[in-house]
Formats: sequence, structure tokens, C-alpha cells
Amino acid sequence: MKHLIIIGLIFLHLVARAQNEPLVVITNKKGAPEEMKMTELRSIMKGERQRWKDGNKIKIALMKPSTQTGISTCKKIYDKDGDEVKKFWLGLVFQGKADAPVFFNSEAELKTFVSENEGAIGIVEIFVNTPDIKMVSIDGKREF
Amino acid sequence: MKRKTIHTLLIVACLLISFQSICQVSTIKTTINGFIDVRSMYDKDKVSFGLGEQDLFITSELNDRFSFLGETVFKFDSSSFTDFSVSIERIVIKYNVQGNNNIIIGKIHTPLNYWNDTYHHGRVFFPTIDRPLLFQAEIIPLHTIGAGLQGHDFGKLRFGYDFFVGNGIGAGPVSDNDKHKSVTAAIHIKPVDNMRIGLSYYNDVISKGADVEGKIINWKVNQQLTSGSFAYFGKKVELLAESTFGINRTDTTGTKHTLASYVYGGYKIKDKFIPYFRVDNLAHQNGEIYFTKNNTTAIVVGMRYEINFLAVVKLEYQYTHSELNGINNKVTAQFAIGF
Repeated sequence: MKHLIIIGLIFLHLVARAQNEPLVVITNKKGAPEEMKMTELRSIMKGERQRWKDGNKIKIALMKPSTQTGISTCKKIYDKDGDEVKKFWLGLVFQGKADAPVFFNSEAELKTFVSENEGAIGIVEIFVNTPDIKMVSIDGKREF
Repeated sequence: MKRKTIHTLLIVACLLISFQSICQVSTIKTTINGFIDVRSMYDKDKVSFGLGEQDLFITSELNDRFSFLGETVFKFDSSSFTDFSVSIERIVIKYNVQGNNNIIIGKIHTPLNYWNDTYHHGRVFFPTIDRPLLFQAEIIPLHTIGAGLQGHDFGKLRFGYDFFVGNGIGAGPVSDNDKHKSVTAAIHIKPVDNMRIGLSYYNDVISKGADVEGKIINWKVNQQLTSGSFAYFGKKVELLAESTFGINRTDTTGTKHTLASYVYGGYKIKDKFIPYFRVDNLAHQNGEIYFTKNNTTAIVVGMRYEINFLAVVKLEYQYTHSELNGINNKVTAQFAIGF
């Protein structure tokens, strides 16, 4: 019983930590602006805005909700848990209102996708400067 | 020599174009999903088990601007040799013109209210087991074949619109049965997250002799439908209220009114448990000849358990009092999944 309580507390601690993990928005060099407001980011991530000002289609790249970054993204952007976010997107796709995001298991895969697709935007935990990816500041901050 | 060179260059160009086309085809993103439900019910002193619809939907991004959505349903049909028939519910070809403005062509779920525009045949999304009575009583035309414009999420209020011209009621899937076209105009706003408020108008002329869901219409009917809806699906509270006011006009009976409404409410008591209720009311004016005049009130109370986003169990009790069938009580359990 004691062990179960300890495991439970560790799990809760990990979930709480995951939800507070600072996140970084990365985009392909083409399409996205250098900075945006949190309201704009949420609007993009919810499929409400589907093109950048230059006309490029916005392609959303997210970490799977089963990953730490995914849990944190669901909480901070959607204010939902992973299941609710999946249901939200399935509903939008079923209605024909938006194209589904692409979900990834690793940040390396997500960054490769963002670097190879014009208009792509993704959320990661660690930003590594590469020629095809840029970081977008949110409300004037590098992390949120 | 020069002619031979041109010929070779043409062949190479053709090969390059073909290769490019193959590459483009191979990068098309197509997904197939589906929904199905099974149920058990206690009705008229007996217990039954039954299959719901099997719904398959395909989405495909053809390129940066064009996309396709197809929805096909396999369902029970007593007139079919195999007891099942296939129905094409939606074929939507969408072209993104600019921003969130799209041109839509094909067969759509008429965007007259929230339920028809949101849930379609995805029973795993339905907040109750079945659709409200205004659908079962065929007050609103579920589908329209035609073309139109659609836009969403403009400005702070997240304004959206649909404008669609279609063949209208009585038309077949490949051609119209008359010269009249149906017109659907709908607007909605989403002033806060998880809330949508909508208003719509539908007009059509149904020709004498039209076959509407197997019923032959013996009069020319001019139909106008005005619908209003309010939907809020928050973290705890769920509320959905919709009403359609129908005006059917014929030369012999004049103008007759119908008001069909329902209110749904749910409250999440735990993460996955949602007790809910729904009250439906159908009120037809005396002398109504297009809709089946069957004034009805129904009360539904139930419990929804969301195992995850692709599996939902519902248990509900429904009391129905109708003009033609009197009082009916039934208990239904449903297991709906997505895949």
C-alpha cells in the first residue's frame, strides 16, 4: 500500500512537472512571423487560422499527447487533457473544417517535419538553431 | 536532326511531367476513419440487441488548396436482399480560396443547425444515443447536393458563414427533379471558447409528385425553415438548445406552421461520467400536410461514460408521448466506438 502511494505521488509529480515544462514555438523559415501573441498561437493551434499572411498553408506539428511535451502542450494551449485534444481534432476533421495536425514521438522527427514543410509550426521543449527552422517569440518571450 | 531532337526533348518532358505527377500522387495525405455502434434496448416488454450504422469517412488533402471528404454509411435496410444497404452521406470537395474562405461542392449535411453540422453520423460524438426528434420527424432536410461558400473564425467573435445552393428536397443523387433550387444561408459566432450561437434560413419549393423519403407529395409546397441554436460544451456544463420554425405553404391549405425544438443538458460529475437529459417537442399546426402531423413530447435522461475519445457507453431512458402513437417508454444501452 505504502509503495502504491509513493508510485502515485511520483506519477502526479511527473504529470505536474510535465504541465509546467517551458515550451518553445518553432516554425519553418517560410510563412510564420518572428513573434506572435499567445491568443494568435492558440487560434492557430485550434485550426481557427489556417494560412499565414503570405498565403502559405499552416501545417501543425505536435508531440503526441503521451509524451511530456505533448502533455504540456495540451494543457497550455488547449486547456485539455490528451484525450480531449484528440477528440477535438477528430471532430474538426470529421466536420471537414480543418486538416489534422501531424503527431510525433520525438522532437527530432518534429523538427525535421517543420524544416521540410513550408508553413509548418510546431511546439517543442528544446530549441536547436538550424538553417531551416526559426523560433517564434510568444508575447515577447522565447518560452511560454 | 533538329526534328529528332525536338521529338526526344518532348518525350523527356513528358516523362518528367509523369514522374512529377507520380510524386505528387504519392504525397497525397489520405486517412480513413470510421464509427460504429451496437445497442441493446428494452421496449414494449422485450429486450433486443441491435446494430447501429457503420460509418466510414475518408479525408484527403489533394494539394495545398483542394481537399476531399467522403462519408459512407452501411446500415440496416429491410428492403435489401442482404438486410443492409450502402448510403453515400457526404461527398465534399473543398477549395480554399483565401484565408478561411472556401468553395464547397458535392453532397453535404445541410448546415442548418449545430447537430447536423457537427455530429453527422459519428455516434461516438453524439451527447445522447439518438438524434433529437426534429431529425427523426424529418423537419429539416439532412442533406443537400449542390455548391456553396463556407467561411469560419473571422474576427474576435469568430464569425462563420455557410451559403449553399442545392437541388433541394425530392431531388435524386444524380439530377434534380425540378427547376427549383434550395437555398441555405447560415451564420454563427463563437464569442467564447466552447460556445457557438447560430442562426439559419432555408427555402425550397417541393414539386407536386416529388418522392421525399418514400412519400409522394401531392401538392406543390413552398417551404421556409428558420433555425436558431445555442451550444456550450464546457469543462463541466454541457448545454445545447435548438429550434426550427417551419412554414409550409400550399395553394389548397394555405400557410401552416411547425415548431420543433429540443434542449440538451449534461454535467460532468467526474472526468468520464456525464449524466444528461434532453427534452424534445414537436408542435404542428392543424391542417399540416407536408410534415406528418404528430405532435410529440419526449423526455430523455441518461448517463454517458467516456472510456476514451474513441469509445463511449451510454445508458438512457426515454419517455415519449405522441399524438399518433400514445405513450411509449424505452430503455437503451449503446456502445459507440470510433476507429
